[in-house]
Amino acid sequence: MPTIAERIKQTMSVVFEVPVEIINENSSADNIDNWDSLRHLNLILGLEEEFNVSIPDEEVGNLVNYKLIELIIHELVQ
Amino acid sequence: MENLKYTEILRLNAKLALQSKGKVYRIGILANVTVNPIKEILEYNCRAHEIEPLLEIGNFDNIVQDSAAGGDKDLVIVIYDLFALIDKQQYFGPRTFDSLLEQICLEIDTIFNNLRQQAAVVFNLFSAAGFAPGYGTYTLAEQLADRLNQYLKDKCPSNTILLDIDKIISRLGVKQALDMRFYYSSKAPYSISFLKEYVLALQPQLLKQNGKLKKALIFDCDNTLWKGIIGEDGIDGIEYAKSTVPGRYFAEVQQLAARLSEQGVLIGLCSKNNPEEVKEVLQKNDALLRPEHIVIQKVNWQDKANNLAAIAAELNIGTDSLVFVDDAPFEINLIKEKLPEVLTFQVPEVLMEYSYQLEALVNRYFNTHPNKEDAAKTRMYKEQSEREASKNAFASIDDYLASLEIKLSISLDNIDQIARVAQLTQKTNQFNLTTIRYTENEIAQLMQSADSFVYALSVNDKFGDSGLTGVCIVRGDSKNTSTARIDTLLMSCRIIGRNIEHVFFNYIVNHLKKEGYKTLEATYVPTRKNMQVADFYKMKGMQRKDMHSDNNVEYTMDLADFTPSKYNYITIQS
Repeated sequence: MPTIAERIKQTMSVVFEVPVEIINENSSADNIDNWDSLRHLNLILGLEEEFNVSIPDEEVGNLVNYKLIELIIHELVQ
Repeated sequence: MENLKYTEILRLNAKLALQSKGKVYRIGILANVTVNPIKEILEYNCRAHEIEPLLEIGNFDNIVQDSAAGGDKDLVIVIYDLFALIDKQQYFGPRTFDSLLEQICLEIDTIFNNLRQQAAVVFNLFSAAGFAPGYGTYTLAEQLADRLNQYLKDKCPSNTILLDIDKIISRLGVKQALDMRFYYSSKAPYSISFLKEYVLALQPQLLKQNGKLKKALIFDCDNTLWKGIIGEDGIDGIEYAKSTVPGRYFAEVQQLAARLSEQGVLIGLCSKNNPEEVKEVLQKNDALLRPEHIVIQKVNWQDKANNLAAIAAELNIGTDSLVFVDDAPFEINLIKEKLPEVLTFQVPEVLMEYSYQLEALVNRYFNTHPNKEDAAKTRMYKEQSEREASKNAFASIDDYLASLEIKLSISLDNIDQIARVAQLTQKTNQFNLTTIRYTENEIAQLMQSADSFVYALSVNDKFGDSGLTGVCIVRGDSKNTSTARIDTLLMSCRIIGRNIEHVFFNYIVNHLKKEGYKTLEATYVPTRKNMQVADFYKMKGMQRKDMHSDNNVEYTMDLADFTPSKYNYITIQS
């Protein structure tokens, strides 16, 4: 079973169409070119389905880097 | 696709995009809300069916303007969301209801008018599902939705299909279908679940326009049409009665198959059994699926892949037009392995869901808007089998053809036939010299134009009426009034092999001579499917001109030199 971190990276890789290897702790909207507002929507939808969670409305706009995503997913799956 | 996660769809779509090939299918989406996640889902569902999509999403909330900007599309999808529409108003209440209704109706008229030249349009019906419902009352939003929908139904042009998204929303539940979080942040109200189901709802249209609809539904027998195995449980031991469980689940499937056969789906059997025993079961009074519903059967002990291939050959359709239903994983896997183009359906373990799942699949893969011709198809295929059978009894093919008493009737520019003529240009692949697809509007224009002729051929013989099955479109040359050019010449494969094409061609040449034309020009445009007519014009005595770099072959003929071929056994009724 892949870890939560692996599954997040996998989802980001598919949504942003970049190799999974280049996604790391420091990945953010600033250093991934494809991370625009429309793909951000796709990312949230992809993460919600992957982890079967619903990300609260007020968090959706904040999840603009890998660390924040990992934090909230950990909270939600507990 | 319904079982795939969104990220899996993204990944598979990216992979399939690399192998993309063939003619592109151009889709335009016009919407007043953000629907961008639909892009990959729709692309994936096209590519999964070997359709190469070119998808363009119009500007946000620019439906009217974008519909005018046009551009040639194979399919235009209009997503006009009622919640976003009302949300945009400064005030929505009884005071403004009538003026808002009037304004949207005007917009609808404009959109329909702007899109009238497009090959096909899907326009969503309005849904009030995003608003709080009035159960015993009738809310303003519900009234607006109903009034607008009535207007859409009254004004719907022939190239447009109205898609009822309320059915999707009620299937999924409002909470699962609409995600208002993303409406407020990005004006994107539809959830991924909704969009997946929506793309499945579009599927018959995608398949139809690309000639990929299924035509025949072939059933195994034991544990597929009834519970039990004839060879083990005996004819009296199998169950398919409505009054028993699990027999009733099979009764539902028999009932479904019987109804589908009346709606033009070809129903067949492919089963390892003794044919006499299966026949005996179907002839029993309580069987719902009767021998007259079944167009073809291969009940024997041979392998099912060969039997399915033989079924396709006898019905004169491709194996990719078959859906095969069986309970045995072994048989399903065999077909997947040997005939991957056949769509397979395995009887589900939860039998209660059997007929529902099968019907849902049929609705996605078969023509669900049967016109008169489709409904009569079962009868015609049966007649064709009878013709095949009597073929053996004649010494020569000409004797046989003579015995058919073939009668043709050919009409010119008959506007009652627009729908069927357009449908034939859309669907015919094999006997089709140029494979130009026309919409109903374009056919109507050709019929009305003074220097073009639309000939429609209907055929009947002693076995029955094949209906309108041939089309020829001839255009005059505006510069050179003595030259005519065959733009389209096609015939349905149902009537091929009876020399009808030659008599049809004679008739057209004769008519053109009478109209004062001296020269006839024509083009053969090769495709993967129309090899059989590669030499048709040569056979008719036309002279070959240069071959273009694009492989098209140009022909010309002095009409005075034409020698008609004689087939006395085919008569033309006037």
